[in-house]
Amino acid sequence: MLKNQAAPYPTSSQPQRRRQISDRTLSQLFIWPTLILLIAINIVPLFYSLFLSFTNFSAIANKPAEFVGFANFTRIFNDEDIWGYFALTGRYALISVGLQTVIGFGLALLLRKKFRGSGILTTLILIPMMLSPVVVGLFWKLMFNPSYGIFNYLIGLTNPATAPDWLANSQTALWAVIIVDVWMWSPFVMLLCLSGLSAIPDYLYEAAAIDRASPWFQFWRITLPQVAPLLLIAVLFRTIEAFKAFDLVMGLTGGGPGDATQMISVEIYSQAFLGQFRTGRASALAYVVLVIIIAVSNVYIRTLNKVREG
Amino acid sequence: MATIELQQVEKKFGEVYAVKPMDLTIRDGEFLVLLGPSGCGKTTTLRMISGLEAVTAGRILLNGRDVTWAHPSDRDIAFVFQFFALYPHLSARQNIAFPLQAQGESRQTIDRRIKEVSQLLRIEHLLHLRPGALSGGDQQRVALARALVRRPAAFLMDEPLGALDAEFRESMRAEIKRLHLDQHATSVYVTHDQIEAMAMGDRIVVMSSAVVQQVGTPAEVYHNPRSLFVARFIGSPGMNLIPGDYADGMVNLPGGNCYPVPPIWQRSLHNQMARAGRIILGFRPEAAQISSDGPLHAEVYAADLHGSYNMLHLSLDGKDILHARASRQEHFPIGTKLRFDLHPEWVRFFNADTELAYDCEVAS
Repeated sequence: MLKNQAAPYPTSSQPQRRRQISDRTLSQLFIWPTLILLIAINIVPLFYSLFLSFTNFSAIANKPAEFVGFANFTRIFNDEDIWGYFALTGRYALISVGLQTVIGFGLALLLRKKFRGSGILTTLILIPMMLSPVVVGLFWKLMFNPSYGIFNYLIGLTNPATAPDWLANSQTALWAVIIVDVWMWSPFVMLLCLSGLSAIPDYLYEAAAIDRASPWFQFWRITLPQVAPLLLIAVLFRTIEAFKAFDLVMGLTGGGPGDATQMISVEIYSQAFLGQFRTGRASALAYVVLVIIIAVSNVYIRTLNKVREG
Repeated sequence: MATIELQQVEKKFGEVYAVKPMDLTIRDGEFLVLLGPSGCGKTTTLRMISGLEAVTAGRILLNGRDVTWAHPSDRDIAFVFQFFALYPHLSARQNIAFPLQAQGESRQTIDRRIKEVSQLLRIEHLLHLRPGALSGGDQQRVALARALVRRPAAFLMDEPLGALDAEFRESMRAEIKRLHLDQHATSVYVTHDQIEAMAMGDRIVVMSSAVVQQVGTPAEVYHNPRSLFVARFIGSPGMNLIPGDYADGMVNLPGGNCYPVPPIWQRSLHNQMARAGRIILGFRPEAAQISSDGPLHAEVYAADLHGSYNMLHLSLDGKDILHARASRQEHFPIGTKLRFDLHPEWVRFFNADTELAYDCEVAS
């Protein structure tokens, strides 16, 4: 397939025509390198993993993939642990995205009016989302450390003997991951909300002041509906990302303690690259997650369209 | 309803005056028009009355109550914006309901009032639409309905027809005037269009460069402009203004013209100015009467047929152009030399230095 599609451009380069490349050829010259890369590292693995999900292939076993029908999917749907990981991921996504929405929107409301240094403050707030998640995971691991970490100190638990070890306790580990995720991604929600807020024309508030609307009424009837489309986009992005949470979790807890933070992506990783290297089953699980994310996104996009049209 | 009183109200942006200290009383039920070129401070004045703009000095009284520092929502005043300022995410009905809901009115009251105003403004069939789906005229009707629905003490309108097409503008002008006559609410209306101002206002406040030039009925500002600015600004075309020299009851004008001051003006001018000096003669195009024994002579520079009359562009000395109305039956080829007289009661004189009008004791 690759070879056939890549063929046109070497053949079209006949000696006379070489000096005058047609627009069509030129555009193809620009498009194909990118397209080839995309096909090689995105499309091919996508279909290859779809194929693998119906086999018992293992990356370390030295034997060819064997077709097993829907066996991988049946196992996944009958595995209570995996259902638990789905539930955990869902709960994580719900709490984390919920907090990010509230905090991000709140920050945007505070930073909406320009004041001295508000530009610098906004930039500073945006720094967390520019960092690499693995790096964030690693340095928060240090900050969460019960004996020398700064986190407990900051929230007032200054006695190392009684202060919680956030990452080692199965009750608090999920919350630790949520705290870091909220710290890292609230700025993203804030950024989108801020651009939404700045797009609301002043005259709407003037009209509302003339119409004798209280600040509370103005917020619910003007600010919120006007920001809603961008807010929903932020929530959509964050929900998809939260469902795929992996790098941050790996950096912080690696899924532990026990399976307290075993998000579904971490589970896929464990299936694929730990123990028996169950590549086939991991592929099947990845496809289940893909279908769920597409379904959830669809719900959001429909809501978004409804908000836009009213 | 309401009287609005401005006492020495001024607005400065930095060191620049947007409105120099002004006094103005808007009577109960009056339709007052603030008229002036853009940047003259008329919109700022309106916004100060509404409370959307804070004054830098002076007091604003609403029905005798000092509202200078009251929030717009505490003034019981409706404001119609130039670009409508409808809530884009709400339907026409929700837009109109907004001020009532903000006051926590009951459902029945809201439904009843919306029905009343939408009948009045003939927008019942549009209530389910959002502003984006409405034409400019209909958007302005919805904006008017939103202002009317809460029965405010006074209406402030900031060039409400400015954003409309010419054809809509005339019909909406009539509609707003009818509404005013029905409701009899105190209204302040800002426009830069002097025809609109003449057509709608009970009184007109002419402003320029942050200063009130004249306050008066449309007839007053048209016939008795207090200054050269008002004389030029009101009317289309404006008043003809010819600089000349006054001496012994005669005004010497360009092109060797000599105009004898009408008897009713003799004494007034004599009392108000020196025996001789510079003066500006003013008259409206319709004050010119073409007659073979008129004291003034001029050459036709151009002639436009305006349907019911001819507008002649005349030149006294080959330079300054005057406008004069002539009957549409007569034909005036370019270059025709003609003589004309001025209707003595419609002639005005202005001080060439102060640019203010001289009073006519007999006329006033």
